[in-house]
Amino acid sequence: MSGLFLSNCNKTTTPKTGTIKISFRNLVGTQPILLDSSIFSNKFGEKYSITQLKYYISNICLINDKGKVTEKESYHLINQSLPASLSFTFTVEENSFSSIQFLIGVDSLRNVSGAQSGALDPLNDMFWTWNSGYVMAKMEGVSPQSNQVGSKIAYHIGGFTGVNSVLKTVQLDFPIGKKLLVEQGKVNEINLEADLNLWWQHTNNIKITELPVCTTPGEMAKKIAENYSAMFSIKEIVNN
Amino acid sequence: MKTKILILTIVIFGGITILFDACKKSDEHAISSGYHPTYLTFKIPAGWPTPPIDIFKNNPLTEEGFQLGKKLFYDGRLSKDGNFPCASCHQQFAAFSTYDHQFSHGFNNSFTFRNAPPLFNLAWMKEMHWDGGINHIEVQPLAPITDITEMAENIENLLKKLSIDTAYPRMFAAAFGDTTINSQRMLKALSQFMGSIQSFNSKYDQVKRGEASFTLAEQNGYTTFKAKCNSCHTEPLFTDNSFRNNGLSLDPFLKDIGRMRITGKPSDSLVFKVPSLRNIQYTGPFMHDGRIFSLLQIVTHYQTGIDITQPTLDPLLKNRLSITNQEKVDLVEFLQTLTDDTLLHDKRLVEPK
Ligand code: HEC
Ligand code: HEC
Repeated sequence: MSGLFLSNCNKTTTPKTGTIKISFRNLVGTQPILLDSSIFSNKFGEKYSITQLKYYISNICLINDKGKVTEKESYHLINQSLPASLSFTFTVEENSFSSIQFLIGVDSLRNVSGAQSGALDPLNDMFWTWNSGYVMAKMEGVSPQSNQVGSKIAYHIGGFTGVNSVLKTVQLDFPIGKKLLVEQGKVNEINLEADLNLWWQHTNNIKITELPVCTTPGEMAKKIAENYSAMFSIKEIVNN
Repeated sequence: MKTKILILTIVIFGGITILFDACKKSDEHAISSGYHPTYLTFKIPAGWPTPPIDIFKNNPLTEEGFQLGKKLFYDGRLSKDGNFPCASCHQQFAAFSTYDHQFSHGFNNSFTFRNAPPLFNLAWMKEMHWDGGINHIEVQPLAPITDITEMAENIENLLKKLSIDTAYPRMFAAAFGDTTINSQRMLKALSQFMGSIQSFNSKYDQVKRGEASFTLAEQNGYTTFKAKCNSCHTEPLFTDNSFRNNGLSLDPFLKDIGRMRITGKPSDSLVFKVPSLRNIQYTGPFMHDGRIFSLLQIVTHYQTGIDITQPTLDPLLKNRLSITNQEKVDLVEFLQTLTDDTLLHDKRLVEPK
């Protein structure tokens, strides 16, 4: 084990830290997603395939009965076409936790704070240039039910102010009796799954026939966001 | 290594990389020891309001950043075919608007959707564009760069072009500490240049400072202005930076609904940003779609042209404005005292060689 060294500000003793790895697995029902090829069917029997899937996960915190610990600079872009983006790690002080909380999207402050970098770089093609703000979640694909050119479907879900906000906080409790441990020298894991079919149906019914495209903030974007806010579940907690 | 920018200490720990960020503010890139930029102070003219946000707070204004921003502003390579630098539509002799054009020319023989506004005193402008769609000066350039009727370029391509240039890597290093060229730095540099364009030395300003005096006509015009126009075009910026409907009818071809395009609210239909009237002599044609060509016609609009049937019309204009023809002529005399020759001829803002 190599030694720690700290920069020039006067910190005293370093607390012991461990690493947490969070992984996202995107599915439709139980089917894995192969971009451009898998064909899915939503609850209304409408067929579709997905060509692009990206969403922001931010402001992650881990919770126990004493409080919560927040990841610093917590902005992650989950991009189905980049396997490396589907999991990430961060360090926290030794502890144990029973739930995870995060925001789907980018908090409103970062939407109004000028040029950003990393996951928030406009290069990631998740920023609206004419109506400043992040696309919080994006799904594009093809469906025979779409009346658009090339049978395209496109959902760019965004909006961060007032009544148009699509920001959703998700809290997931770990299975009963299961705690996530943070231990020095270990990488313990939270494995999450997301069922994309919830985009079409949860609290709201979204039919491709009626809404093949939604690319501006507003009522429909909010409905889709309400739906997808329920798509996550804990697959397993792994204490290695 | 003791720069005021971020210090990252990377620790290899059991094969895993851990990042500790230390005391200070952050920029993700390690800073080389030869980084000694010349910091500049942004001056707020005496008696002016404090800007709504400090646009240089997370983007410290430096000579090097300003020079880089200026080079970018005048560089055609920011556009797809090389022909449309920012400066092609924002010309200094027109106070950085497009001189004498209702709409500006962009990529592939297209015209812009709206009239190009002048650029100055942007540090006071919280929301940009006629509809206020842009919420921060640093992200504004993304709109023209990617718009197919303006520069039609994509950011990735653009950054590639900059990185193979002989001067840019050196200039980025001088401005930001190392040769990394990324979108954030490009945008921050452009913002340093644009944010530094100021207008506070017109005849009006000189009169206010006791360095000059108005003619009788200008003085009368000023009196009328304060009575009829100042509640929206508020001194000293000559805008209150709010969004309002001043009674222009909807153009049936453009169908530009203004701020409603951004907020989706019916109450924002036909509502546009109140533009500054500084340098108005050089920024015509006027209004969001350049439909009015002279200052006399502008006043005529407020006298008789306002469409008073519009539900979103600003209450101040519901009876139109009663202005006599003598007042009208004097008003135009006054508006011409808002021309700032210092800005129009400032050598510091001229295209670099
Ligand atoms: C093809 C012409 C064109 C080019 C090129 C262009 N602009 Fe503009 N600019 C416009 C138009 C038109 C508007 C008004 C847009 C609107 O309100 O919808 C505008 C608006 C702006 C504004 C907002 C001003 C205000 O009062 O709200 C800024 C700032 C600006 N441009 C900066 C730039 C920068 C920086 C570049 C280069 C990266 C650039 N422009 C390139 C035409 C252009
Ligand atoms: C109720 C607020 C209000 C009042 C009062 C008002 N204006 Fe305006 N003015 C606006 C708005 C809003 C615009 C932009 C409208 C648009 O383009 O759709 C504007 C645009 C202008 C423009 C065009 C500027 C440009 O760059 O294109 C001029 C010039 C102008 N006003 C002059 C005046 C004068 C002179 C008076 C007084 C006689 C006056 N205004 C009174 C709100 C107002």
